[in-house]
Amino acid sequence: MNPEELSYAKTHEWVAVAEQDGAKIATVGISAFAVEALTDLVYIDLPKVGQQVEAEQPFCEVESVKAVSDIYSPVAGRVIAVNDTLPDALETLGSDPYGSGWIAKIKISDEAGLANLLDYAAYQKQCAE
Amino acid sequence: MPYLYNTPEDQRAMLEAIGAGSIDELFDPIPAYLQLDRPLNLPPALSEMELDQQLRLLASRNRHAGELVCFLGGGCYDHFVPAVVDTIGSRSEFYTSYTPYQAEASQGNLQAVFEYQSLITRLTGMDISNASLYDGASAAAEAVLMATSSTRRFGKVVVPECLHPEYRSTIATYLENLETEVVTLETPTGVVDPDLLAAAVDEEVAAVVLQQPNFFGCVEDAYRVAEITAAAGSLLISVFDPLSLGILRRPGDYGANIAVAEGHTLGTPMSYGGPFLGIMACDKSLVRRMPGRIAGKTVDRRGNDCYVLTMQTREQHIRREKATSNVCTNQGLFALRATAYLAQLGPQGLRETANLCLQKSHYAAEQLCKLDRFSLAFPVPTFKEFVIRDAENQVAELLSSALDNGFLAGIPLGQWYPQLADCFLVAVTEKRTKAEIDSLVHSLANSETKVTAEV
Amino acid sequence: MKNTRDTQTIFELSRSGRRAARLPACDVPEHNVADLLPAASIAATPPALPELSEPAVIRHFVNLSTQNMSVDTHFYPLGSCTMKYNPKRNERAAAMPAFADLHPYQPAETLQGMLQMLYEMQEMLQEISGLEACSLQPAAGAHGELAALLVAAAYFRDLGESRTKVLVPDNAHGTNPASAAMGGFDAVTLKTTADGFVDLDDLETKLDEHVAVLMITNPSTLGLFEPNMQVIADRVHKVGGLIYLDGANMNAILGVARPGDFGADMQHYNPHKTFSGPHGGGGPGAGPICVTEKLAPYLPTPIVKTLGDQFVLDYDRPKTIGRVRAFFGNVGVLLRAYAYIRTHGPDGLRRVSENAVLNANYLLSRVKHILPVPQGHRCMHEFVASASDLRRDKKISAMDLAKRLLDFGYHAPTVYFPLTVPEAMMIEPTETESKETLDAFAETLFRITEEDADLLHDAPHTTAVSRPDEVRAARQPVLSYPE
Repeated sequence: MNPEELSYAKTHEWVAVAEQDGAKIATVGISAFAVEALTDLVYIDLPKVGQQVEAEQPFCEVESVKAVSDIYSPVAGRVIAVNDTLPDALETLGSDPYGSGWIAKIKISDEAGLANLLDYAAYQKQCAE
Repeated sequence: MPYLYNTPEDQRAMLEAIGAGSIDELFDPIPAYLQLDRPLNLPPALSEMELDQQLRLLASRNRHAGELVCFLGGGCYDHFVPAVVDTIGSRSEFYTSYTPYQAEASQGNLQAVFEYQSLITRLTGMDISNASLYDGASAAAEAVLMATSSTRRFGKVVVPECLHPEYRSTIATYLENLETEVVTLETPTGVVDPDLLAAAVDEEVAAVVLQQPNFFGCVEDAYRVAEITAAAGSLLISVFDPLSLGILRRPGDYGANIAVAEGHTLGTPMSYGGPFLGIMACDKSLVRRMPGRIAGKTVDRRGNDCYVLTMQTREQHIRREKATSNVCTNQGLFALRATAYLAQLGPQGLRETANLCLQKSHYAAEQLCKLDRFSLAFPVPTFKEFVIRDAENQVAELLSSALDNGFLAGIPLGQWYPQLADCFLVAVTEKRTKAEIDSLVHSLANSETKVTAEV
Repeated sequence: MKNTRDTQTIFELSRSGRRAARLPACDVPEHNVADLLPAASIAATPPALPELSEPAVIRHFVNLSTQNMSVDTHFYPLGSCTMKYNPKRNERAAAMPAFADLHPYQPAETLQGMLQMLYEMQEMLQEISGLEACSLQPAAGAHGELAALLVAAAYFRDLGESRTKVLVPDNAHGTNPASAAMGGFDAVTLKTTADGFVDLDDLETKLDEHVAVLMITNPSTLGLFEPNMQVIADRVHKVGGLIYLDGANMNAILGVARPGDFGADMQHYNPHKTFSGPHGGGGPGAGPICVTEKLAPYLPTPIVKTLGDQFVLDYDRPKTIGRVRAFFGNVGVLLRAYAYIRTHGPDGLRRVSENAVLNANYLLSRVKHILPVPQGHRCMHEFVASASDLRRDKKISAMDLAKRLLDFGYHAPTVYFPLTVPEAMMIEPTETESKETLDAFAETLFRITEEDADLLHDAPHTTAVSRPDEVRAARQPVLSYPE
């Protein structure tokens, strides 16, 4: 995916929203900036398929050697898919953060969270600060 | 005269460099009204020689297992400690070092921990061992917390009565301010009854805690218990006796998910119950829920094999209130002693030690039960300890009279089990000789039975 | 001399059929194991332990030991760990058979010396803390924290009060919030000021009738005495809460100030630190706790008391929280602490703290020109220097300094803790080091800061191992030798 077309949370998650069978599906990952800042990742604790998530609440964890970071769900809804290949290929988060490094797909139940997201330019500005 | 590391001249020079007029001035940050305005009310300082005399005086008021013949068990046993273990355990490079956070300065400790973990996985048949916890009871409580958090079942944990009463009490205390309820399973036959267990486990039960051999020394049908537990989707926590695994099937063999033990029996003396060694091993699926330190193998920048503490994100110093446990310290010195002990014993030594415990305890039970007043409270196979019922219900008098003859003959069970007030627990380790066992039997046979009523 | 075999594991050294241990022949009539135990319970073969000769066992572990730094071999200024010298008289005491060979279920009449020692320990720890009751049961500092928080929970339950929160300053040890969570409380983080003290405004906003306990480390992890201690204690007490003192830093205040006098209701000790351990490569420790009179009924059971001229274990304590472990406690560690306290006495203990504080301030005065100490020009028993200027100017990090110190025969200080100080180096010399050692350490530190940064990035150079790949260790964990 083209990072310039994605939306971003202040907490560094990216979101791509697509329509599927009349429902809105958010694909979520973490930005290249975040992966860089987290340094060498060693573990990801993926959410469970079927899990209900709330906007701006932690739903996944990534770990480096000496730190644990929460990943926040940008939207409210239900997890319908997770990227099972990630735990054994964490380098993908860095090599292709906006493509094969996606983390989860969420069927959106409440679009309110989307309004708080930043566009690419605004997110870049936040990272530069 | 207190110990002096710096001379008064040194101290003056140091104060001058600091720019302080006196040592007292260095305490100025503590408001005067909070400072103690008198000396501590403690006994005056002793020299090393006087300390020695004081300790000898205290020691003379103890009667230890070397001077009495010890048949006490109940989670703490008079096993043999080979000299090799003391030699290795008293290397001050091991015992005066800190937790091996600085890997380059701690390869000795780290490799020893890695070897300890490797030995424990082989001993137990489990996938993963941590670097140890405080003791068997707290390890059992940690295992329960691990089970509730990994199963997300916070409702209940099932604990049979034949689990060590102090382990039950520890688990209850750990859970007292949490929502999880401890369900105690009665074990009138001395072992877990499969039907009672099956009735007690349901989808709210996070774990069943099985001691093998149990507190009464009885060998449980661990496979059956594991089957019932797994059928309910609960985890099986096995509390095992490390030395029994020279003969008995391992927790991993019968499907335990978490295995914990009191490991002092691997080379650490009884020391009045501590410090001891909490062993914990688990399935690999549970490793992220495991409390405590874990050492792992890796390579250094030159490509050489080496060891580090790893998976530290589970621990309190990183994850704080979300950590798997608050535990920080492990029992490094005793993990080292256990490593040396098992290396010294080897597979055959372990098997022979276990066999001596089994044969001698069986012989002791047999001899005691030849006396009319004694019988086994639970007619079930036992490993190294067993429960004797006194038909005359004079346990306190019996044990006291045996003590007069130089025997620590057994542990009265009435203190924990009112229904077993006429019973005592006898343990026989590899150290007990036939002559000692025969003398114990003789002593108990000739114990004067006091007339209960002096009307 | 280098021994190339010394890093092989015991599994690589194993040879089938080799034996070290010889056991006595069975002197009772022997039965087939299958006649004594159910078939399903019997293992066909014993576990796959390694097979070694006794000299191989000894050589292996003795060689391993030489790959450690230790207090007996090196200066070990590891902040917050109080790596003082461990007097050998303590070891001799603990090894006496009349203490080491006691079974916990022996009758009290056969344990009078042991029980007397433990009773005196209770009394002495109470006096040193200025608190009225003591439990020797917890096995380590964090275990003491948990036990004390459960005591607090039982106390409030008894009062019929529902208190769910434990306040913990952000620079506290991780054990504090972890203990709070484990004890069933919500750990609420309190902000600290730039000086590392409790932010009184933040305290005000978080303090209410739901607060059970405020946990405080005083002197703090920055080696500073909390100037608002009295105010904090008064405010917490005013809403009915309790103050827990993390006793990690008691080495600074023995005989100088007592937690009970400055507002604490509960505290733990780390006898393996304050009362000379030893640390054992990461344990055993002990974590005795002292509490005020009103909390005494809830302490773990049993406690040693006197009955006439006898010492007995008191189990008749209906309000107790129960137990946090089996048996009495880590008495082997407590016995060493007893030997330490008895050979120091009241004056000696005060001298311990005086000299710990003197040594720390002296080293601070020598180091601050090389590494700034952001919080204060004076300290208690330890101080936290910062390598952030060095990092900015020369690209030398706290980690580089720590690793390079190993090359010069010094154990590294604690680095990157507390997180509130950038490039933190937490230095605690303890009282048992001489001025010469402190001078040499300061000079070495200075010399290192003058070295080439690239040399430092690759340090240590002289140790058998240098900069382990921790990412690999965590990504592909190898936690045991393959079977």
